[in-house]
Amino acid sequence: MPGTRTRLILTTVIATLLGAGAVAVLAGFIVLRAGWYNVAATTQHFEFVYRLLEQAMHYSARHHAQTVLVPALDSRAQIVRGAALYRDNCQQCHGGPGVAPGPHGMSMQPTPGPLVDASRHWKPHELYWITRHGIKMSGMPGWEYHMSDEELWDTVAFIMQLPRLSAADYRAMTAPQPEATR
Amino acid sequence: MKAPRSSTALAALAALAFLLAGCGEQRPPGVNAGDPARGKVALSQYGCRACHMIPGVTGSEVYVGRPLEHMMRRRVIVGKLPNDQPNLVRWIRDPQAIDPGTAMPNLGVSERDAVDMSAYLLGH
Repeated sequence: MPGTRTRLILTTVIATLLGAGAVAVLAGFIVLRAGWYNVAATTQHFEFVYRLLEQAMHYSARHHAQTVLVPALDSRAQIVRGAALYRDNCQQCHGGPGVAPGPHGMSMQPTPGPLVDASRHWKPHELYWITRHGIKMSGMPGWEYHMSDEELWDTVAFIMQLPRLSAADYRAMTAPQPEATR
Repeated sequence: MKAPRSSTALAALAALAFLLAGCGEQRPPGVNAGDPARGKVALSQYGCRACHMIPGVTGSEVYVGRPLEHMMRRRVIVGKLPNDQPNLVRWIRDPQAIDPGTAMPNLGVSERDAVDMSAYLLGH
């Protein structure tokens, strides 16, 4: 049996922790319920909120993509098909070398961001996972039910080539083809 | 004895009002037009921050375009134009017309928005 003094210290510690917790929960609820955090896309996140969310997204995508097996991604046909898929499905939000995103892509919060440097931050299996499953609350849709698995990999194959493409290369590769290559 | 004292107070008040008014309106040297506060929001609404790091605008660490810090200290922009507000506006509105090889696209920025953006950028 602990002494009176020890018991007093323990009671004080526990009461303080519970009290602090209750105050924190109440404060959080008030901020939430009053609507003080501005959700407008024309206002910015606080820098630390943005960094925290972005970092969590990176860790999560890397973790969940671990089991993805990568096929060969360097065939010319694959890259050409990927270019057309990119133009039709990705360019509106992410733009391309020398090509602006559409107005909805420009003014989204978070900004979808360019993919010309995506292969500097992500490995192919991670790009596949992100394209296939999308990212919650970021505006990035999951393409699993809208693209075949082959098309997903074609798109990744093209994104891997993007850092090497000039604006002119990109224009040439995404020019509408008279006869279908798909 | 009363009149001179009140006129001194009036002059002091006028001077103070002038100083206070100056605080909000002051533009950095070389910036003759535009609303920097509006320009800051415009920079996020045209997706500039997607490729460029911009002081005061939240976003990822990115090096697709050059970071736009210390713009007021630069002598030259785009490697060839004197760094002044009209040239910066020209570049923002149609970069391909100045450098056809650039990866920076024409984002359809209006004249007013480009002037406001340049006012913000040249103040940093």
